[in-house]
Amino acid sequence: MFDFSVVTKWVDDLLNGILSPTWATFIEFVLIGVCILTAYAVIALALIYIERKVCAFFQCRLGPNRVGPFGLLQSVADMFKMLIKEIIDIKHNDKFLFNLAPYVVIAASVLAFGCIPFGKGLHILDFNIGIFFLIAVSSIGVVGILLAGWSSNNKYSLIGAMRSGAQMISYELSIGLSILTIVIFAGSMQLSTIVESQANGWFLFRGHIPALIAFLVYLVAGTAETNRGPFDLPEADSELTAGYHTEYSGMHFGFFYLAEYLNLFIVAAVASTLFLGGWMPLHIPGWDGFNQIMDYIPSPLWFLGKTAVMIFIMMWFKWTFPRLRIDQLLRLEWKYLLPINLINLVLMVIIVVFKIHF
Amino acid sequence: MIALKEKITSLVPAAAFDEAAIPTVTVAASEYKQLAQQLRNDADLQFNYLLCMTGMDFGDSLGVVILLESTTHLHQIYVKTVTADRENPYIPSVSDIWDTARINEREVFDFFGIRFTGHPDMRRLFLRNDWVGYPLRKDYDAGEALNPVPTENEDIRDTTLTYEALPDGAIAARERTVFESEEYVVNVGPQHPATHGVLHFRVSLEGETVKKVDVNCGYIHRGIEKLCEKLTYPQTLGYTDRLDYLGSHQNRHALCMCIEEALGLEIPDRVKYIRTIMDELQRLSSHLLFWSCLCMDLGALTAFFYGFRDREKVLNMMEETTGGRLIQNYNVIGGVSADIHPNLVSRIKEFLTYLPPMLKEYRDVFTGNVIAQQRMKGIGVLDTATAISYGVTGPSGRASGWACDTRKRKPYAAYDKVEFKEAVRTEGDSFARYLVRIDEIEQSLHILEQLVDNIPEGDYAVKTKPVIKLPEGCFFKSVEASRGEFGVYIESRGDKNPYRMKFRSPCLPLVDVVDMLSRDGKIADLIAIGGTLDYVVPDIDR
Amino acid sequence: MNITTYLKGFFNGLWSLLVGMKTTLRIFFRKKTTECYPENRGTLKMFDRFRGELTLIHNENNEHKCIACGICELNCPNHTIRVVSEKITDADGKTTRVLQRYEYDLGSCMFCELCTRTCPHGALAFTPTFENAVYTRSKLVLKLNREGSKLANKK
Repeated sequence: MFDFSVVTKWVDDLLNGILSPTWATFIEFVLIGVCILTAYAVIALALIYIERKVCAFFQCRLGPNRVGPFGLLQSVADMFKMLIKEIIDIKHNDKFLFNLAPYVVIAASVLAFGCIPFGKGLHILDFNIGIFFLIAVSSIGVVGILLAGWSSNNKYSLIGAMRSGAQMISYELSIGLSILTIVIFAGSMQLSTIVESQANGWFLFRGHIPALIAFLVYLVAGTAETNRGPFDLPEADSELTAGYHTEYSGMHFGFFYLAEYLNLFIVAAVASTLFLGGWMPLHIPGWDGFNQIMDYIPSPLWFLGKTAVMIFIMMWFKWTFPRLRIDQLLRLEWKYLLPINLINLVLMVIIVVFKIHF
Repeated sequence: MIALKEKITSLVPAAAFDEAAIPTVTVAASEYKQLAQQLRNDADLQFNYLLCMTGMDFGDSLGVVILLESTTHLHQIYVKTVTADRENPYIPSVSDIWDTARINEREVFDFFGIRFTGHPDMRRLFLRNDWVGYPLRKDYDAGEALNPVPTENEDIRDTTLTYEALPDGAIAARERTVFESEEYVVNVGPQHPATHGVLHFRVSLEGETVKKVDVNCGYIHRGIEKLCEKLTYPQTLGYTDRLDYLGSHQNRHALCMCIEEALGLEIPDRVKYIRTIMDELQRLSSHLLFWSCLCMDLGALTAFFYGFRDREKVLNMMEETTGGRLIQNYNVIGGVSADIHPNLVSRIKEFLTYLPPMLKEYRDVFTGNVIAQQRMKGIGVLDTATAISYGVTGPSGRASGWACDTRKRKPYAAYDKVEFKEAVRTEGDSFARYLVRIDEIEQSLHILEQLVDNIPEGDYAVKTKPVIKLPEGCFFKSVEASRGEFGVYIESRGDKNPYRMKFRSPCLPLVDVVDMLSRDGKIADLIAIGGTLDYVVPDIDR
Repeated sequence: MNITTYLKGFFNGLWSLLVGMKTTLRIFFRKKTTECYPENRGTLKMFDRFRGELTLIHNENNEHKCIACGICELNCPNHTIRVVSEKITDADGKTTRVLQRYEYDLGSCMFCELCTRTCPHGALAFTPTFENAVYTRSKLVLKLNREGSKLANKK
């Protein structure tokens, strides 16, 4: 299996060889920044295209098929449209907060994006409390959404933002607890360690019942975290027109749009990292030949493949279910997911202590 | 009939009783309220359903004609009252007797300027607040000088007037507030995805909870009733298609039947069968659209497309025969405009086998879905008595336990020749309204199954005179449209155009009842209630 | 709420969600119903009775049947039709009305078919054309009688 740290090491040595360490580090920062933003934009555009195609196929339609072959360039064209659109300046809003909000949302998702291990050695932020950091930065996004709703001075936006606040803060609990379950199992919060320790089988299989429950809970809570259907109450197009981003236009709206899709990617990526082994190929203990073949597939492909499956499942949720009502949404969290999660956590502790796992 | 006459003359000796197919009682405005009360409450009469309220300009006087029906005794009666004062016409309000009178009296006030004493909310219903004059009066000046094309937004008033008759005969006006200034009022509409058209709700919120809903209609008011007064009878037909555009065929059916009955035309059986088939196809398309739109309102966008996919097949069938998808334009006075297309029968048969598996998919995707059920069960409960009082007919009325199907109560066309179950449920909540419509889709298929092979031979239309003149008198005919009882009231003076033509819209009571149903619910419930009531805005505004 | 109803409600709900997901996935792999419009122009045909626009029927000799009686104009609820005619006196001193212009405003037509139904000579018909979009309203006012056309002789 190819280790990408060879490449990064080579770049690092090269830069240090010709520049002073300060400048070398600076240039590395810039390079990483450019890479991460490019990946961010490309993934978001790809996801928008995929979402439109998937949703069309669920709905007996063909989806975008005019721009480029199979409509592949549709979201690129949409991006250009979004970029050249005027950012409409609305009256009676809180200008500073209104303009700040989209950047808060996008900054939160870029930070979280940086924590994800894309492949062997392809990891930007990796330290001993990686998963904790990821949860922390991704929850900054809700601040941006609240700011957007508040500063728009629009009743729909405000209601949307309040819903979003209630929803995100509640579901953060479930996300945290289901991740905690896996952290107990892995014994580490460092993402690279978590992935490495899945070399002999993914946590979803090794942790059997509690891992499976945590996985399902994580899927539901993750969908809610991304404000996607059936939990799209903050936007709720048939109730609040577009919720917190009703008043946004041009690229400011585009930022919300991008962040929404990137959050979907992040949630799916975390799910595949924690439960499905991240970039780790499918290894079955004892089947050495099989394991070797699996190793030939590059690690980023494994990662993206697993993430794509998770994304498809979440799109499948969105395009099947009707929307919940706000009280039902909160009831689902507090009366179902949270108790299940707590019991599951205890179960996982028992399993780890008595070593009744694979 | 005789008993009815005796009873009424004993109650109000001054009333003039006119015997016809539907008897008419004429009373002075001063005795109108008392008579109304007795008609409503007397055990032998029990006129608990106000079917249609028509404002009238008799030339020298203004008045109101209400058509009452008893859901227990099934008899009907017109009550007519007039006021000679054209400057300041006052008539007592009957809104405390029948709830549906509230919105109907507002409409009469809007069109004729008749003020109803005791009515809690005398605002205009359709026209702008700054409109000059009352358009359906015969002496109305439609010139542009009086009502120029407005260049500014309409100011929506938060206050309303209520007129009270004092014991000494004088009238006192009192101002009432609709929304207090500290209330958090959100506009749902006129441009809103869930109002299904340009309807405007002003919703007072407390957090997520709806406290009060004020309906603001008229954004798509086209003055069809006024237009009809200038048109010949065949010309009026075209306008019915544009009322409830999802029930165009049924609306036109009602008008055609009303004119045919007035003319005494004998309609061939073939026409009756064809009309029934087309009515049911129309109902199918309408209910499929209802299903789709409700799913979309509740956030299930995919289901929306499934409904539209299947509705397309119904529309294709209708288009092949009638030439129209939305505006059918098929019924004419004396029959239908062309014989059914040779493909229609085979297409219907194909559809009869196609739809049931799709209905199963609907059940799997939406009806059975736990989220959908929780969004609808127990939401917006309407009990039977209130439904009747508000005149909520159609599937929404039947979901409240009121067997109000016109096809069963007053069979027309070929409905007495087919066997079908009237879908009635007693829960009265949104889920019941939803299920009634799903049941009706099945029943419509069942009706089509019986009719499609048995269309009798014969003419597809009878010949009519080139100029159609209706005999003097008033005529009413109603059909079961997709959303409730659609009625046509024609007052004829023997001319080639109607003196007054009124359409009893099934959607007006539906939108009237939204306020009551959605109070103390959530915003999302308001959407679910609106979706399951399934009103169509052009039918409200006319 | 006791524990059995709680659990039962939970699992029934979960089951209903799974059934829904199964159904949508089945439809995911089904044939799509979309028609690709401009591409299928060649095969796309409207139903015969579809009312696209009003036409004055001309035969191969550029003759129509309109005698300019104006009944259609009279019957039209929207004043969509305007028949311009002139009186021509022929050699025998007989005066006949001859159609000059048959104007039809597609923009205000409500396709009620009163014109075609009341025409005593069957001169009018609706054709199933459907690509009627134009850029200005004035282009919707059409002249239905062709250049140089004349009244067909009665046989």
